[in-house]
Amino acid sequence: MRSDTEIRAELRTFVRRHTGQVAVTDDTPLFTLRLLRSVHLPELIILLERLRGAPIDVEQLRIGDFDGIDAMVARFGRQP
Amino acid sequence: MTGLADLARIGLRWDPSGQAGLHGPLLALAGDCDRAFQHLASRWGASEEAYAMTLPASSLGGHLRSFPHQVTFAMALDPAEANLAGFADGTVLDRSGAVALTRTAPVTAVLTPAACYHVYAAHHGEQLTAATYVTTRNTCFRRESAYEPLRRQWTFTMREIVCLATADETASFLAQARAAVDQLAGLIDLPIDWAPATDPFFRPDRHPGHLLQRIQPVKHEAAYGGSPALASANLHHDHFGSAYAITRDGAPATTACLAFGVERWLHALVDRHGPDPDGWPDLVAAARQVVTR
Repeated sequence: MRSDTEIRAELRTFVRRHTGQVAVTDDTPLFTLRLLRSVHLPELIILLERLRGAPIDVEQLRIGDFDGIDAMVARFGRQP
Repeated sequence: MTGLADLARIGLRWDPSGQAGLHGPLLALAGDCDRAFQHLASRWGASEEAYAMTLPASSLGGHLRSFPHQVTFAMALDPAEANLAGFADGTVLDRSGAVALTRTAPVTAVLTPAACYHVYAAHHGEQLTAATYVTTRNTCFRRESAYEPLRRQWTFTMREIVCLATADETASFLAQARAAVDQLAGLIDLPIDWAPATDPFFRPDRHPGHLLQRIQPVKHEAAYGGSPALASANLHHDHFGSAYAITRDGAPATTACLAFGVERWLHALVDRHGPDPDGWPDLVAAARQVVTR
């Protein structure tokens, strides 16, 4: 499993790749603002599973889990 | 709980294929339900629009991939004389009751899976300068693994109120819509609870639509006593606005809808108030009261 710092860096790269020139910080609510959309979710989950070294149970996802890099690191940065 | 025999006494004719016929008190109650929902729609000045019972499959590509297990297709025989003769002179039906088809014509139509789908296609290319509200009712078709009278049916009646607007306007609509349903339910003594929900996507684990519904509050359902949803409030963002080139103030319109499953309301009302029509609340008066508040 990568460190939270490494996970954060990889997520920033992913977000930049999909949001282009839009200014994004770690607390930008990416899905609420529609900067990321549903089509990005499968790839994002696969990325997070690789970074944390553990699968993500889709049925355990909660509202807000992906709404910002901070939220993703807090939710998925440590194995349950 | 209300059993099939109770429901039959007040006007249900149940077909185990998942379809309900109504007469007598239940039919009258269904009419009252729909009139009550129409009254709620007048809260937004919604225009009534009526549509056919099928949609072009070409307009439902995403839906067909997402819900192949629920779709019912409208199909016909290839009209070539020899093909029709082969059908008419054949067995027509096998012993199980299945039709012994000969060659079929290309399937290009789907029986309506959700009443609001027609609205987006019908408003294709419109440039809206104000929030637009539409109400429509249709018979909808969804295949299920099991059916239950009035609660889970293959064919059922859906009344919808649709908002085509900006993101802020649709957010206001959804908040008002849920409040209006709460007020109506309170006035008719039908306790309901709203909860975030997901649609029954095929292979949901990696379906973008299912994943989005789990992490964003785009769908909420109102249930009575743990029953299937009586109503749902749905935010589509700009999915339909972009797909059908509908704009609001120059940007793709955001859309949202409030959907009612009429037969489920019948079940809930009878379960709550009993099978005697004299004990049923005045739905239309209650809806009128909600609108004038």
